[in-house]
Amino acid sequence: MLKEKIVRIRHSILGFFTGVIITYIIIWSFYLVNNEAALTLIIFDFLFVSLVFRLNGSFMKKIGLLLIGNVIGLLWNSVFHSFSYVATWYFGESLNVLYVILNPLLNSIWVVSFWSISLSVLASSRTVEVG
Amino acid sequence: MIVEILEASFLILTFLMAAYLIRHYVFTLAVLNHTSKRKKAAVSTRNRSYQPRVSILIPAYNEERVIGRILQGMTKLTYPKDKMQVIVVDDGSTDNTGQEAAAYAKPHDYIEVIRRNQKEGGKGKAPALNAGLKHAEGEIIFCFDADYYPQSDIIEKLVAEFTDSNVGAVQGRVTVLNEPQNLVTRLVALERIGGYRIDQQARDSLGLITQFGGTVGGFRRGLLESLDGWDESILAEDTDLTFRVYVAGYKIRYVNDAECYEEAVENWRDYWRQRYRWAKGHMQCFFKHSLKVLKSSNLRLREKIDGLLLLSVYFMPVLVLFSWIIGVPLFLLRPPQWFDMVWAFIPLSLYSFVGNFAPFFEVGVGAYLDGRTRAYWLIPVLIFTFLYNILICTKALADLFASKILRRNCNHWDKTVHTGNGNSYITS
Repeated sequence: MLKEKIVRIRHSILGFFTGVIITYIIIWSFYLVNNEAALTLIIFDFLFVSLVFRLNGSFMKKIGLLLIGNVIGLLWNSVFHSFSYVATWYFGESLNVLYVILNPLLNSIWVVSFWSISLSVLASSRTVEVG
Repeated sequence: MIVEILEASFLILTFLMAAYLIRHYVFTLAVLNHTSKRKKAAVSTRNRSYQPRVSILIPAYNEERVIGRILQGMTKLTYPKDKMQVIVVDDGSTDNTGQEAAAYAKPHDYIEVIRRNQKEGGKGKAPALNAGLKHAEGEIIFCFDADYYPQSDIIEKLVAEFTDSNVGAVQGRVTVLNEPQNLVTRLVALERIGGYRIDQQARDSLGLITQFGGTVGGFRRGLLESLDGWDESILAEDTDLTFRVYVAGYKIRYVNDAECYEEAVENWRDYWRQRYRWAKGHMQCFFKHSLKVLKSSNLRLREKIDGLLLLSVYFMPVLVLFSWIIGVPLFLLRPPQWFDMVWAFIPLSLYSFVGNFAPFFEVGVGAYLDGRTRAYWLIPVLIFTFLYNILICTKALADLFASKILRRNCNHWDKTVHTGNGNSYITS
């Protein structure tokens, strides 16, 4: 019980530093992604590190999921950003407004879905560990 | 000037959404940090020797398909039968509820059936419970809905909390019995996980306002009588009683391992009816209790804050809709510097009011702690119940205001229909 608790605390601390590093990278790469995407990624990292890292499962698996989540988030936003850029070029500024309005909803799709997948991965690892 | 007003309104709404989001984040963290589990279990075990006489009220209106199930559950309870009184209140049923209950009462002398005629019955749960209370002899009064099925040792687990004289009421956990039935029942199950496994557990651990959920709970008889029982003018009689208990200076404890299984609504129409009633009742409670909560000398500051957030929870889907409505023209009129950042809040606040008003991370962690591996996959689908709740709560608020203006009675109790399909999930 105590060992499990120590492992969880260690995971949380290591996860916190990983989150700080990722956040730092995101902040410095603001020119790659727009503000909304960067903020969504930071919120995702914060929730992921502070909650998911406290659950059972190997540290490497959690770090892997966190990195995959960030890559998906960046790709997701890059794709939609490129799409809106091209669409605005051809159809005018009004489509950009639509993109900005829909952006939070679009981001929530990958955040929540990835959250579900991450929990499933960690739960399956817990089953393996126990069984 | 209009733009400035819109900006200020949008900022206030975003602040409110962020407050709820932070609240649910703290709740999730609190449950993850809940380390006193073993200590609490030891206390519960020790208190098992406390066995006062209890009365269990089961209000039933046209529940012939499920009444047998709960009475079967009552006969299987391990609590000493000589200290137990089960009162079925047949609330003017037009079906065979009374006969079904009477058939169970015949061989079990601790089961009684009270019949209310069709003129006085069928007007809601509170009048039926008050009628049952008049016949109750127990020191502790429990109430269970007719569509529930209790764990065999649930009374021992709940009664144990009453050894603390500050505890006025106790609440057990509600779990969905017919979860595998269809998408609606699965989503309701997820809402329940967020609402009980995290929300209620966290409120209990943090010493906030633990909510009596209207069923799977009990009260000290003296307290209940001093509060004049259930308020028949409020649709959410459970939330109303919760706040009256706290304002009176008592606490409500939540016992997570005292599980009871409910038959969840099976289609979107019944979901609407049930949530509409909850939303309207909760809003009535907001108007009745907000000032009392603020003024109460029996509540600490954190309890007052949590109480107000709890009372306003059904307004939030309406406010989310309002923030969208003012947010779009505001963006088109003049996007200020802070506006980009505020937009990023919306995806998270959007999900913070999902279903049972729990955000995705809360439901996810709750499901994980429960070991509900397959349930995770439906978390993204909760967006539909959230959108549905926006419509439900907006209609409830509009109707409430309309009834106030037109001085109409808005307390029509739209009964949830129970099909008895949950029976097939019980193994004898």
